[in-house]
Amino acid sequence: MERKRSGRRYYNKRKKTWTQQCKDYLRQFIAFLFSNIGIICLVVGYTIAGAFIFIVIEGAPGNAIAVIDRVGANRSGTADRIWDMVCCNAYCEDEWKQEVQVHLRSFQSHVIEAVRNFSYEGPNKQMTRWSFSGSFLYSLSVITTIGYGNVTPRTLMGKLVTILYAIVGMPLFLLYLSNIGDILAKSFKWIYAKCCLCRNCKKRRKRMLAIQRKEQWKMDMRDFKLNTGVLTEGEESDDEGTTDGSSSLSFNDTQEVTVPILLCLFIMVGYVSGGAILFSKWESWEFFDGSYFCFISLSTIGFGDFVPGNSITGPGTETSLGTGTNPSTGTFTGFRTSSGTVIELSFILCSMYLMLGMALIAMCFNLMQQDVVMKIRTCTDILRRISRCKN
Amino acid sequence: MVPVGDKSSTGSSSAAYNAAGADNPKERLKECCRKLVAFMCTQVGVGGLVVGYAVVGAFCFIQIEGQAGDAQHHAVQQLRHNCSVNVWNATNTYNVLYRDNWTRQVTDALTHFQVNLALIVKKGYDGRTTEETWSFSAALMFSLSIFTMNGYGNVVPKTMLGKSATVVYAVFGIPLYVLYFRNMGKVLAQSFRWLYTWVYQCSMEDKAGGDPYNQQLPQKSRVIVPSTACLWVLAAYVATGTVTFVTLEDWSYLDSTFFCVTSLCKIGIENFVPVGSVTDAATDHPMKLVIKFVYLLLGMGIIAMCFDLMREDVQVRVRNLKMDIGLCFEDIRLRAVAVYRRRNSFD
Repeated sequence: MERKRSGRRYYNKRKKTWTQQCKDYLRQFIAFLFSNIGIICLVVGYTIAGAFIFIVIEGAPGNAIAVIDRVGANRSGTADRIWDMVCCNAYCEDEWKQEVQVHLRSFQSHVIEAVRNFSYEGPNKQMTRWSFSGSFLYSLSVITTIGYGNVTPRTLMGKLVTILYAIVGMPLFLLYLSNIGDILAKSFKWIYAKCCLCRNCKKRRKRMLAIQRKEQWKMDMRDFKLNTGVLTEGEESDDEGTTDGSSSLSFNDTQEVTVPILLCLFIMVGYVSGGAILFSKWESWEFFDGSYFCFISLSTIGFGDFVPGNSITGPGTETSLGTGTNPSTGTFTGFRTSSGTVIELSFILCSMYLMLGMALIAMCFNLMQQDVVMKIRTCTDILRRISRCKN
Repeated sequence: MVPVGDKSSTGSSSAAYNAAGADNPKERLKECCRKLVAFMCTQVGVGGLVVGYAVVGAFCFIQIEGQAGDAQHHAVQQLRHNCSVNVWNATNTYNVLYRDNWTRQVTDALTHFQVNLALIVKKGYDGRTTEETWSFSAALMFSLSIFTMNGYGNVVPKTMLGKSATVVYAVFGIPLYVLYFRNMGKVLAQSFRWLYTWVYQCSMEDKAGGDPYNQQLPQKSRVIVPSTACLWVLAAYVATGTVTFVTLEDWSYLDSTFFCVTSLCKIGIENFVPVGSVTDAATDHPMKLVIKFVYLLLGMGIIAMCFDLMREDVQVRVRNLKMDIGLCFEDIRLRAVAVYRRRNSFD
């Protein structure tokens, strides 16, 4: 069967008509579309669908109003308690302030809980955490297993849907990673081979010569065997296969090159620092914070203390902390409306950065693994040769 | 004990050696000892290394972050003080009997306090001082969440040094963890396969008493564990975790399941617990912490095991499918050739 197949392939290669070639190219193109472009579209579509689902489930206005009402009720309750104190207590400033502090502390813990758990932002503000971009980032962070955690589902439905969404989405994303990582690794290897192997042409020529010599030797051996009549059918098919493979040597040669580990590391570091520069521009973070964010995101740790597009949800991050400035709410709304378009753009770029970055990391690991395997193999080869020499 | 020595590491030379001296009991004993040592070094050693790495990381982060100044806490204290001063001023300037005026003023002060507080909370303040935040248990969970790539985010480094330390810690910790993951997966997969094979054979023996078919079964040494069994194991593990955390942490069932699934999938969305119990969690007794720690590490191993087994299952299935398709095509081809020949011969 093996022989038949190889023979057929050989035959096809020789007598390929123009239309057949065209058909082959078309088929390859369609396969490429289904395997790579298709999977990218699938991942993006899945994320967008997830974003809409989560908006519907979690972003129901009832939740937001309930939280705002609760905080307001707590505030007026605190005021009432202080009023009671004013009426009944002795009028000593220090003691009085102490007691007010106690009430304020309980109010504070309530506000902290509202902000952290229910993304409360202010008395007269809608909660934009489940806006389209927010929930898109949420679903992206779920399927990439980054899990920032700055946005968490609060309702029962939301949690259930998140679990199901993750179970379906993560294999999909893994598929995307392996596919795109493979493609990137192949193309990067090709580029590397073209660029770097031409520079040391001598080596390449030497290797080609060696391969040719090997082929020549093989052919000679075959001829010899044929002449003496030793060759059996099975061996013939074997030889046929090898010669068949050598005809497409030029492509295989670029794929046999291993990219050194240092270059892979350099690419990763470069990607992270490039991301840091971009994020420091978009989000007005510091460079260090940007690179920290990139690292934490691309390693899928995802603490969520820095989040892309945080200026959507928390415009307060722009103001400096602890300086005692009390920015009024008016400036915030103004800020938000003025930079609405910028935010959308930066959010799209952020998600693209993340998706591309994960694929790039996968590519780097792929290449590094190949390099390490190659090195180990040569080491064992050398060891074996040495031991054989001794024996 | 299941014989789970790492076969690839022992290599072919030792196998040959073993075959040569198999009849000698002394040699066999030696071989067993060597296997045991290899097992301790590869599996237990890696596990111990991971745990030790986590503990060391916890101490380092406590040292680094615990020293940091508490700017946010002071800012909040300042805010609170300002607020109380405002309320006092309102009480002083207004006649106390005008309740409406007074209430309005106080509410304004409180709103101001609340808005500023919300901003600070957005910056990462959670109502705790650094000493409370960086308790040992929290630091241990933090370092675990770094190298398992969970990243819960309820405790985050705030200083520059802490952030750099996090990055360095992750760079060294993640490969270590991946090693652990692979090893643990292999070991668990082997033992689970062994167990499955044993149960399978027992059940077959029970079923097919003196059947001649029974004779062939033991020779088929490698039983492929079906994917559904892996899924059942995973579901059982999640259910166990759910029940454990419900009793341990007083969460609801859904919250508990959510926590288990997101943690084991490495998503690590933090299940925000109310602030009141956060401070309790900092001081709770170490048993809970140990249980959580062991649950997570073991869970990762079980996930790796399921990946291992399922991959094998899928590979076998794909191979079978390919073979079927190949046979199908071969059949069609043969038929076509036969028809063609017949027609030719007719012509």
